[in-house]
Amino acid sequence: MPVRLVHWTLAGLIAFSWWSVHNHHTDWHIWSGVAILTLLIFRLLWGFVGSSTARWTGFIRGPRAVANYLRGGWYGIGHNPLGALSVIALFLAVAIQVGLGLFAEDEDGIYTGPLSGLVSIETSDRVAGIHEAWFNVILGLVVVHLAAILFYRLRGKSLVTPMITGKAEADPRAQPMRPGKWWIALICLAIALGLSRWVVAGIPPFGP
Amino acid sequence: MRVSILAAAAVVSLAAAGVAYAALPKDKALAIMHARHEGMEKIGDTNKLLRREITSSAPFAPAVKSGAATIFNLSKQASGWFPAGTGPEMGNTGAKPEIWKNQKNFQVKLRNFQTAAAAFNAAAAAGDINAAKARYGDLGKTCSACHDTYRSEMHH
Repeated sequence: MPVRLVHWTLAGLIAFSWWSVHNHHTDWHIWSGVAILTLLIFRLLWGFVGSSTARWTGFIRGPRAVANYLRGGWYGIGHNPLGALSVIALFLAVAIQVGLGLFAEDEDGIYTGPLSGLVSIETSDRVAGIHEAWFNVILGLVVVHLAAILFYRLRGKSLVTPMITGKAEADPRAQPMRPGKWWIALICLAIALGLSRWVVAGIPPFGP
Repeated sequence: MRVSILAAAAVVSLAAAGVAYAALPKDKALAIMHARHEGMEKIGDTNKLLRREITSSAPFAPAVKSGAATIFNLSKQASGWFPAGTGPEMGNTGAKPEIWKNQKNFQVKLRNFQTAAAAFNAAAAAGDINAAKARYGDLGKTCSACHDTYRSEMHH
């Protein structure tokens, strides 16, 4: 459940970030970025203490496992070894994007990322350029992501339904999923909100 | 001070109206566009310095003072930066054609900017950092108010 919530909120916020920055709502764009930061921190933590299918150690496998999956030798639940690569790629790409945004400032110096005061003006301007260009990387990954969904769909398997309902047909040999505990999720969320708030304040002891 | 700004703006808008009939020679138009670009860039760069100063835990008053004066002086020059015939039809510019379609509204926004720059400069010159902070916030809003409608993204 937390995984699915993070996923759909993230998808919505990425779209919203793109829309807001192109429609003179840079202030909303910055808050959207902070919200994404919170989600990423939560998801990172949940990947250590959450449900069995959310755990990084549960689905990140080496190249041999990916090859084995491609030969049809994998029968687990959750992300398959190849899909795991996609999760990691998207997670890292979005994390880099948020990280860049924190230090960026716009051309006029009117809107600034919460940490832009920690770096020089030149750095901040350069970061803004990379931040803009990096969106293309995210866009590329989203295209691959959607293409994969379409590919599985054509082969008769819906990836979207389980991502909404949380239910998928499992191979009888698969280990059943172990759900996470709700109070652990709340602790992760509290930590994520706290860290984001700290970033918004501009770091050191609550300010630049 | 305010009266002189208004007077200057009035003179310039009259001049702009006159220019609309007698088209601006190309070299003159390009020179104005260049001055406008350099001026706006200078305002932006100054703003970046100011923001860092003002949001720091101990703003350095002389830096705020000189930045505010720079923006104030450029804001006065801005009255002459937008005569008709200096839009995208003349050359590469971030100025949208809407500026000349909605002259009345544009002039109001330009004046708001000039008024805010003058108020910020007065507070900074008086050495009142708290007042300067508040006026700086007002000033930023007048920049966005105009840029949201009248400025296009320009990559150079």
